[in-house]
Amino acid sequence: MGRENFHRILEETQQNVLRMGSLVEEAITKAVDALTRSDTKLADEILKADDYVDDLNVLIETNCLNLLALQQPMASDLRTIAAMLDIVIDLERIGDHACDIAQITKNLANEPQLKPLVDIPLMAAKAREMLRESLDAFSHHDAQAAHEVPRKDDEVDRLYRKVFAELIQFMANDPKAIGRASNLLLVALYLERIADHSTNICERVVYMVEGVPKKLKRSVVEFNEVLAHSDEIMQTSTPAAADTASAS
Amino acid sequence: MTTRLVCGGALIGVIAVAYLAATQPEPTRTILVIVALVAALALVIAFVPGRPSARASVAAVEPEALTPHADLGAQPGVAEVLEALPVGVMIIGEDGKIRSFNAAAGEVFGVPADRATNRALIEIVRNFELDKRVAATLRDGVEETGELAYVAAQQRHLQVTTRVLAGEGSRSALVIVTDQTRMRELETLRREFVSNVSHELRTPLTAVKLMVETLQTGVERPASDEFLGSIAQETERMIALVEDLLDLARLESGKLEMRLSTVDIGELCRQAAQAQRARAHTLGILLECSTPDTPITISADRDKLFQVIANLLDNALRHTPRSGQVRLAASNSKGAVNIVVSDTGSGIPSTALPHIFERFYVVDPARARSRSGTGLGLAIVKHIIEAHGGSIAATSELGVGTSFHCTFTNV
Repeated sequence: MGRENFHRILEETQQNVLRMGSLVEEAITKAVDALTRSDTKLADEILKADDYVDDLNVLIETNCLNLLALQQPMASDLRTIAAMLDIVIDLERIGDHACDIAQITKNLANEPQLKPLVDIPLMAAKAREMLRESLDAFSHHDAQAAHEVPRKDDEVDRLYRKVFAELIQFMANDPKAIGRASNLLLVALYLERIADHSTNICERVVYMVEGVPKKLKRSVVEFNEVLAHSDEIMQTSTPAAADTASAS
Repeated sequence: MTTRLVCGGALIGVIAVAYLAATQPEPTRTILVIVALVAALALVIAFVPGRPSARASVAAVEPEALTPHADLGAQPGVAEVLEALPVGVMIIGEDGKIRSFNAAAGEVFGVPADRATNRALIEIVRNFELDKRVAATLRDGVEETGELAYVAAQQRHLQVTTRVLAGEGSRSALVIVTDQTRMRELETLRREFVSNVSHELRTPLTAVKLMVETLQTGVERPASDEFLGSIAQETERMIALVEDLLDLARLESGKLEMRLSTVDIGELCRQAAQAQRARAHTLGILLECSTPDTPITISADRDKLFQVIANLLDNALRHTPRSGQVRLAASNSKGAVNIVVSDTGSGIPSTALPHIFERFYVVDPARARSRSGTGLGLAIVKHIIEAHGGSIAATSELGVGTSFHCTFTNV
């Protein structure tokens, strides 16, 4: 394999990372869209499209390993390949989370909607924006942009805490809502994780460009605080349905 | 749409594309645009000075001259034509890199055209489906026209056509993109409007029909009186809806005649408040009107402005609970006249606030039905105020109340 061929394959592999990224970006939007509209057909499409993501994952990994084994790349080429090997893991997990949300859509299809979804679509839009910008930073080798993206994680975490508190309130008020509310709680958790995976991608971009491994500042959801608030809700709420059930 | 064709600094013609927007179905319009586009490009190629196959007239252009060529983007003058086209045009080389990317494509995909050239398509337009279609065109010569959902900052509905551009021993792809997002939105609005009007008219009509049928069976008084009262009430509601619709249609088409005169806003507010005072008393709501002692005059259509204040007061009274308060105030400051209608009602959620001036938008459909609004009042208010060169804004807090602020600057 000549150097020209090496650069061609490296470039193609970078483009495949972007192809994989565009597939998972789309999967997030469609997953939350399917959940909002209880569209099981769309949910099935998302589950099916994950095969493409997996195929691209294998192709990218194989190409990266071949380049490493056969070309002994150095400096920025080496870091780019190492970054891509990490980035595809994050993209693959994001794709899995979109599938998890699609599966939840199917699980909830025959249940009445707990409430019109407002904050979950907002979380999805924000998480997707972070993913898109992290992939832009990768595409343009832009470390500065990669530093900026994780700041948006605060907003995703704020929405996550809000959704968490609201769903706990639903569960406290009506035990019959526990099944649906806990499924939605998982959706919010997956979206929060997608935002974290985007931050991981940014860290790899910074390493790829600057050559220095760096942990980017990310906001952390204070679970103790959230759970303490949940306890408060549980103690103050009177589960009307539970009372009725025990009375009968 | 018309565009000048300039080649080597000389004007060589004009492209005119006529959209038969209202009468033609969407696929026909798209085909017309594409046919016009390909014909225009072929004409430019045919007219390029010095080109061996150049022809002197349109009639002399042979069919093969209409086949787009791989070097299309490089032809003199063609770049200007591509740049001026209102549809997105991209030419992708055999290596998957963008050779040509016009300004309209840049607008659709949110990328400056100068950043796109010589980059792989997937780097610039991160859409797997588009990438796949272009790859199929380059690899297998597949040509297709179809819809594509493109999500970037916002979702866009695109119509994408891919065509092969044959070159000597190479193949490029011509991608034509039309953004149909706005058309889709308008179509949705139109459908919703028709559906809403039908619903709003059918509901009272059904009630009237049932009551008439019952009366025909020979119902006696006092039940018949009650039925007749209800029929009169439902008929009034339908008349109000039709009048509102006609008002709105006239306002939106700009055909509403404005009879401008000098109007004292303070006096108008006092009259509007007086007209609603008896109703407020019946509802148990305190209606206050505060205006300065000196006249505040603007040039306006008195009746239309009275309708604005009456609509806002009616809205406030319908959404304020018993023992609540509705306040109407007029003031004059910094060369602007302000009218504020505030209430201590249930308030409007922040997510609904940007939509309240839309036709038939109701914050809580379950409650709106029982409160007999037509869903057109605020849309009419906004149009009338804007026809006077003014503006209206709303602020609200759930459980606290809502305020509508009207501002007129043509004092």
